[in-house]
Amino acid sequence: MMLDEHQVQELLRLKRFEQPPPGYFDRTLEEFHRRQRAELLRRSAAQIWFDRLVSALWSFRMPTSAYGGAFGIFVVLLTLMGTGTWGPRSDEALSASSFVRTLTRPAARLALNKDLDWSDFGQRPVISNLNLVPAIQPSDSSLPRYVLDRHPVSYEASFNF
Amino acid sequence: MLFDKLLPAATLTEIAAIAHKMEESNFVDDDVALVSRTQAGDTRAFDLLWQKYSPRIYSLVYNMTANHEDANDLLLEVFAKAYRSINGFRGKSSFYTWIHAIAVNMTINFVKKRGRRFQMSLDDLDSNIQNDKEFIDLTATNTPIREVDLSELQQRLNDAMMKLSVEHRAVVTMFDIQGMPHAEIAKILGIPEATVRSRLFYAHRQLQNFLEEFRKQ
Repeated sequence: MMLDEHQVQELLRLKRFEQPPPGYFDRTLEEFHRRQRAELLRRSAAQIWFDRLVSALWSFRMPTSAYGGAFGIFVVLLTLMGTGTWGPRSDEALSASSFVRTLTRPAARLALNKDLDWSDFGQRPVISNLNLVPAIQPSDSSLPRYVLDRHPVSYEASFNF
Repeated sequence: MLFDKLLPAATLTEIAAIAHKMEESNFVDDDVALVSRTQAGDTRAFDLLWQKYSPRIYSLVYNMTANHEDANDLLLEVFAKAYRSINGFRGKSSFYTWIHAIAVNMTINFVKKRGRRFQMSLDDLDSNIQNDKEFIDLTATNTPIREVDLSELQQRLNDAMMKLSVEHRAVVTMFDIQGMPHAEIAKILGIPEATVRSRLFYAHRQLQNFLEEFRKQ
């Protein structure tokens, strides 16, 4: 006769009678204390400090709304950056604006002005018709234009055979 | 049992669940205070938690490993881990559920690492088993169990249990041996109640097959 499910369950319940020897749990508690003390002695000060830090971080209870708020701010920033409404300033823009600032200084204006009378400085350039100094007039409304001599370098034939 | 004849199994399970809940509600109130005291550095409070839960945790681990020495080591490790992590315990579940979840996970990992290389080391049967109503019923009726002696019965039961997968063994241990309701097991294992029920159904079928050897011999 095969055991039915109910009999199997009753049999399994008999396993509750498998018990450790009397006094086992008290002795094991003492063993637990001994191991805890040994672990404390074995661990370095750094480990103990780290554990305390982790515990302190765990016990720090942030209100749930704070997580929601932080997430909201993150989404708004992401949207602004995605639509191009706002974005961190790029290096190019930063260098351009600093160049504009440089050009607005009187000394820079002097150096870049092609109509400058060099005699004022006691000497004239040897090749007067060579425009080594680009004529750049700083503009308040737009970024500076970069002019490479008279015509772009790419127009010149580099090699003629 | 008389109740078994009067009430269907589902009703008995419900009654067990209600009784468990009532018992648990008292436990939880105490546990909250004991956990708070432990978090404040009172080690005696943790000793009380040990006294309260170590027999249950030992039983859970022992019935999943079928080895007293392994169960002993795991019991110590489970409580050591609980003690280290108690500051992170926020009371979202009861301490009871929390420590059982630690124990089940550690034991499942241990058993999977151990693989097949293990030997049984069984605890002695409490002599009170001879007076147990269920045992008397089982041995009095015309079942194959009548034919075997106690130590053989224990050995065969454990053999059959160890043939189950460790996940199925965990469910059988908590439901059939420890008498936990499905909902509590689901919370501990982090799985739906339906999965607990299906695992139990499958495990019982398996055990019926494994214990059929009683009939064959």
